[in-house]
Formats: sequence, structure tokens, C-alpha cells
Amino acid sequence: MSTGTGRRPPLGGLDGRTLLVLACFVPLFLFFAAVWVVPIVFALWMSFFENPTTAAEFVGLDNYVELLTTPRFWEFLWTSVVYAVGSTVLSLLVGLALALAVNRRIRGRLGLRTMMIFPYLLPTLIVIFLWTFLLDQNVGVLNQFLVEYGVVDEPIAFFSSLQWAMPSVIVASVWKYGSFAFFIILARLQAIDDDLYERARVEGATTWQMFRDITLPNLRSAILIILLVRGIWMFNKFDIIWLSTRGGPIEATTTLPIYVYRLTFSSVAFGRATALAGIMFALLAATAVVYFYVFQPSKEVNV
Amino acid sequence: MATSPRGLVAVPQRIQARLTRIGVYVTAVVVAVFVTVPVYLMLTLAFQAPADAFAGGRVNLIPTNPTLRNFRVLFETTATSTYFRNSLVVTASTTLLSTAIAVSAGYGLTRFEFRGKSYAARAILFSYMFSPIVLAIPLYVVFFALGLLNSYFGLTLALTAISTPFTIWLMWQYFQTVPIALEESAWVRGASRWRTLWDVVLPVARPGYVSAAIFAFSVAWNDFTMARVIMSDENLYPITVGASLFLDRPTIGWGETMAVSVLICIPPFLIALFLQQYLLQGFNVGGLE
Repeated sequence: MSTGTGRRPPLGGLDGRTLLVLACFVPLFLFFAAVWVVPIVFALWMSFFENPTTAAEFVGLDNYVELLTTPRFWEFLWTSVVYAVGSTVLSLLVGLALALAVNRRIRGRLGLRTMMIFPYLLPTLIVIFLWTFLLDQNVGVLNQFLVEYGVVDEPIAFFSSLQWAMPSVIVASVWKYGSFAFFIILARLQAIDDDLYERARVEGATTWQMFRDITLPNLRSAILIILLVRGIWMFNKFDIIWLSTRGGPIEATTTLPIYVYRLTFSSVAFGRATALAGIMFALLAATAVVYFYVFQPSKEVNV
Repeated sequence: MATSPRGLVAVPQRIQARLTRIGVYVTAVVVAVFVTVPVYLMLTLAFQAPADAFAGGRVNLIPTNPTLRNFRVLFETTATSTYFRNSLVVTASTTLLSTAIAVSAGYGLTRFEFRGKSYAARAILFSYMFSPIVLAIPLYVVFFALGLLNSYFGLTLALTAISTPFTIWLMWQYFQTVPIALEESAWVRGASRWRTLWDVVLPVARPGYVSAAIFAFSVAWNDFTMARVIMSDENLYPITVGASLFLDRPTIGWGETMAVSVLICIPPFLIALFLQQYLLQGFNVGGLE
């Protein structure tokens, strides 16, 4: 938009204008300073101290070194990556499949679209209630079916078995976040010109060829954005895992967000907790740099 | 029938179309079942007495004696009403604060020129990528120092912090679509900037700030992480934190748990039903956390 300042009336009321500028930006800057900048800087500063809230003692990078040299940190980092990749890729596949279906003119597509909004809007707590019930060892419906049809002999305690806890948490996450991918991809699909498909069909292209050569290239940036942004959000996801497994059994689902919560509230080790928050902050910043350089999202607004 | 460009034997297009169609319907049905089964279970358990729901050691999927018993037990034996009140207070104040900041910032960012605007855009996007827990720990230590833990005000600030990056972004994009010519013609007729803002700009921007308000509302209503970190006094728990502890109690079973879930779901349900188009606008702007 090229609404240069020059096109404004020369005497737009200088006082009124200045006041308006102040009214727009002062609350914004105060607020951002109070809830973003100050807390983050303060936390980073604390990460250089031992017992920062009581008998503060400057220890430099010791908290970071201590974290990075414990094998547990790397285990939890790996668990976070497994969870983030697993839940992001599966939500993408579910969302993509359904978006492709709804984009065809099938019966009940509007109903399907409305239906997909619910999981996304339901609070995480409810999502976890539903899935802990569904997968419960004693009353869970899934176990009832599995035992009845002879798939398993004994009911499985999904959320509390070493083997099944992570897949169960991932399934619950996919249930909630599949619709995120669905809506973004559907919007992109609807923007593809129908003529392209028509011409390809006339040329005798197969369904697969049309998907590979028309649909996928058009969805490329949407898919990458979902992988990157949803990926970093899942990497830092706290509530789903905490509410379903508390990071257990025996730390099988302990990711970095669970670990940072434990360090803060169970161990009350503010120095190490803020250092871990600092590490997570750095990972986030690195992802953001990739995002900014590859996608240039700030071009969506005129700056 | 023609062969495909690679010389493979082509499947006739009619059969391809039929196969695709079958695939499409199968996908739709599978996903629909996957999404609706948990919701159906919630409803069927919430409206059955536990004795009926679990009669004979298995879950009774078709309610025969619908009852509100679970809801009654819930309100009689737990502090559910207090939790809901807390949720309403915090959600309402977060929605107001976040929308107000977003509208003023969005207007300012589109109507005034200043250097470093691209940094502002990146700062907003960067904070939007934050997840609650990464901000929650720093906020906790600061609120601890300032004595803001265990207060509506502290939780409102925290929830506004995690919702404003997106609401500002949304309003920034929205105000770009509001032509400045509208304002200019009002100025020409002698209206002051403030008057123009109230009478011309805000009414036109309504769809934008309704979307922003819906987003702020759902962040606050759904939040568990921030409340868990900031509130430790049970009387101040919002419903999400309060209800998360229900299953640890001997008096609360699955029936009551599903009943409270139904109550928590009512606002999101109404939004999905009546305000869908505003919500989808949010996705077009670049997705929601």
C-alpha cells in the first residue's frame, strides 16, 4: 500500500496526530517491555547465578555446562525431537488427506469442515481427558475392542507403559492439531486454478501425475511452514504431555519443557531452570532465523 | 485409451476417477470417525449415571437413562463454580486487553511511518513462535520478584503476553485492507483524527477485531500452562487447572469428569457454530497456535 505520509492533509492537526501516535505505540512498547523483554533478560541474567533468588553467587556459564554435560539432557532433547517430529508429520498427513478429500465436492464437506474445528478449539485438558478415557486399561473402549476381537490378550495401559506412552501422547496430539494443517492446506488448495487440472486431464495425465505436478508444488510452502512452525511449537509443548503422563513412565515422555518445569518447581533450581529456558530460547531463535530467511513472512505486511 | 507419457499402460480415466472417489470417501469417513468418537464418548458418559454407564463391566455406548446427576455431583462436591468464575474473569480481561492493544498497534503500524518497522514485524513474529512454557519460566521469576503470582492481574498479563503477538499481526494485516481514503474523506469534511477513528475506522475494522477477540478468548479459556505456573492458590485456579486435579479424587469418576468437560466445551462449541468465518480468517493470516 503506497499511502505515503505526503498524501495526508498538511494540517491534519499536528497535536491530534502526535497524541494518536503516542496512544498507539506507548501501550504497546510498555506492554512488550514488561511481559517479554524484561522477563527474558532477567531470566537470562539469572541463568549465570547459583541460587539466584536466595544467596546469589555468580557462576558464569556453569549452569549451562552442567546441563549440557549430563546425559539426561541429551535424552530429553532426543525425546523432544521424537515427539515434535512424530506429532507434526502425522498431523500434516491427516490434515493433508482430509483437505484433499474436502476439496473435492463430496457430500457433507461443510459438515466435515465444521467438525474439524472442534478438536482445535477444545482445551488441551479435555483432549487429554478424552484420550485417557479412550485408552484406559480398565474402562477404555479401545482396550475393550482389542480384547474382544482377540488382537491382544491383556488390556494395555497405554499411557503408563514404556513402549506405548509416547505413541499415545502423539496420537492425542495429532487428534488436536491435525486440523491446524487441515485448514491451512485447504485454504491453499482452494486457491489453485481448476483450469490447470482440466488441461492436464485433457492431456491424459493420471490422478497421481496431477497430484505430483500440480497439487504438491502449490502446497510446498504451506507444508514447509506447517513443518517448521508446528514443529517448533510441538517441540516446546508442555500441557499435552504434562496432563497425560507427567513425563513418565520413568521419564519415557520427559521432553525439555517437562524438564524445565521440573527444575523450576520440583528441584527449585532457578539457575539451571533459567539456563535451560535460555537453551530453549536459543533453539527457538535459530528456528526463527530459518523461518525469516526462507519464508520472509514479514513481507506479508508493508513495512 | 492413450498410454501415459512414460509408456506405461494407462488406467482408463473413468476408473481412475472412481478409485480416487472411493479413496476420498474412505479418508473422509476414517478421519470423521477418528474425530467424532472421543467427542461422542464424552457426551454419552456425561449424561449417564456411572452405574448405568459401566453396567456389566463395559462401557454402555447408548444412554438409556439420560440424567444430569453428574453435573449435580460436580457442583455439590467440588469448587467447580469458583473455578469457572476465575476462568471467566481472567478470560474476559485478557480478551479486552489483548484486543485493545492489537487494535491500537495495528492501526498505528499501518498508518504511521517510522524506521525499523521491519524489526517490529520480526519481533512480533518471533514472539508469536514462542510457546507458553518458554515464556512462563521467565515470567514466573519476574512475577515472583514483583509479588504478582496468585493474582488475576498477573495471569491476565501472562495470557495477554502470549495472545497479543498473533492478535497484533492479525490487526496489522487487517488494517492494510482498510483504505486510508475513507479516513481522508472524513478529514476533508473536518472530522478530527479521533472522531474519524471512532466513527469511520473502528466500524470498518470490526471483522478484524472480532477475529482477534476470538483468538485471545480461546488462548485464555484453553490455557493450562500459564495458570499452572502462576496460580498456586486453589481458590484462584481457572477451570482447566481445577478440573485437571479431579481425577485424583476418590469422589470424582469419569462421569463427573466428562460432565465438567462438556461445560468447558460450551464456549468453543458456540464459537465454532456461530463465528466460524471469523475463526477461519485467522488461519488465512498464517495459522494459530
